[in-house]
Amino acid sequence: MTQTLRFDSLLVHGGLEPGPAGATAVPIVQSSSFAYGSAEALEDVFRGRAAGHVYTRLGNPTTEALERRLALLEGGGAAIATASGMAAITTAVLTILRAGDEILSSSSLFGGTFSLFRDTLSNYGITARFVDPLDLDGFRSAINERTRLLFVETIGNPKVDVPDVPALARIAHDAGLPLLVDSTVTSPYLATGVQLEADILVYSTSKYINGTGTTIGGAIIDRGVFDWNSPRFPHFEQYHKKYRAFAFTARARKLVHKDVGACAAPFNSYLLTEGVQTLALRMERHCANAIALARFLADHPKVAWVSYPGLEDSPHYPVATRLYGGRYGGLLTFGTGDKASAFKVINGLKLAKNLANIGDAKTLVIHPASTICADYNAEEKGLMGVTEDLIRVSTGIEDSRDIIEDFKQALDAI
Amino acid sequence: MTITINGKETVITENPGRTIDSLLEELDVSQRLYVTVELNGEILDRPAYVTTPVNDADVIEFLYFMGGGR
Repeated sequence: MTQTLRFDSLLVHGGLEPGPAGATAVPIVQSSSFAYGSAEALEDVFRGRAAGHVYTRLGNPTTEALERRLALLEGGGAAIATASGMAAITTAVLTILRAGDEILSSSSLFGGTFSLFRDTLSNYGITARFVDPLDLDGFRSAINERTRLLFVETIGNPKVDVPDVPALARIAHDAGLPLLVDSTVTSPYLATGVQLEADILVYSTSKYINGTGTTIGGAIIDRGVFDWNSPRFPHFEQYHKKYRAFAFTARARKLVHKDVGACAAPFNSYLLTEGVQTLALRMERHCANAIALARFLADHPKVAWVSYPGLEDSPHYPVATRLYGGRYGGLLTFGTGDKASAFKVINGLKLAKNLANIGDAKTLVIHPASTICADYNAEEKGLMGVTEDLIRVSTGIEDSRDIIEDFKQALDAI
Repeated sequence: MTITINGKETVITENPGRTIDSLLEELDVSQRLYVTVELNGEILDRPAYVTTPVNDADVIEFLYFMGGGR
């Protein structure tokens, strides 16, 4: 009888197969192609009659080991590892959408996703409309006959708002539509796809899955629960006929992922299988450090405001508590009143790194309005909650006293 | 008894209790969580693997979306 492992054990053992010479780390199979002993054997793999690898753009043993583990962590299903989080989102939405279709998306989005939806996809006849993710009625009433998917982030980056994802899932499902959830900021440790009632999850594995800021990667998890056998999705008919619950992954693998070619590199997949093993331990520390820093900032006289869903007076506290089991993630924002003082704080920090990333073991900061959100106009910045004084913090796993002392000395000096 | 698996005639022992699910295990078919089974030209629903018996002269195809091309 196979033992059913719990989440923290799956992080270490999930999908792990015996390696050569008893190796317990996932072997790095740094090979572009895979040879077969006969023409018939390779034909069988190409036709999908036999499992096997052909070419690393389509699949690779190291990447497959990562995919097995990520799928298990989300409660089962099929996973595709990609070159980046943006590659995961691009591949996922292009698998579902065709020209003339519409995405109904949360307005509280990572800037790269907003740009993909608004600027890039619009060149190919795909439109996106953006709704405040806290406005459930707004989402429900914005669905029209062209809508083909709903998209939301578990915790908005950088707005740090917390939508009721299962409620959005029910709105999507009532309309016969799938809900795609970007859970980069929470990771499956705070809530799995099962708990979120998501149909498909996408994330940047560069963040908490990797954990140390060494790798760019992404993943798509298909929970195999959405019914693609629908007049809204005639392009899924042939895939549903053969692959049923996994029609999405079949269409992604056999068409979009194969053609777009944004595959994971085997070495990156190896680093991610190493990094993910400590996800539970790291997330506990990220969350503990974030609440400690948020409470310190809330009491500091130079801080005008703090946004962190773990603060009891946050409007997001009740939903975040219900969905994420008393953990609120490692992302927070605060303001010092204006851009000049925000820059002074960032320039004064000695421990925290000023860079464009989150989910690193190191504490990170950035001024989004002048960097990752600089291309957006005032209205769009407003939608994304980006003010001129906003500093985004991704708390690392250092001793919280050192993080707080660093922010204290930077704030005291302005 | 003789069945056809992926176009090849294969002799397997008589076993009246054999189902599609136990056949997958018996043949050590890889990626059992994801393989789609076509039995005599019809795609089987996954829950039916444990209840569908394997009969003499069945034609069975395994379909994967994992590694191959189209």
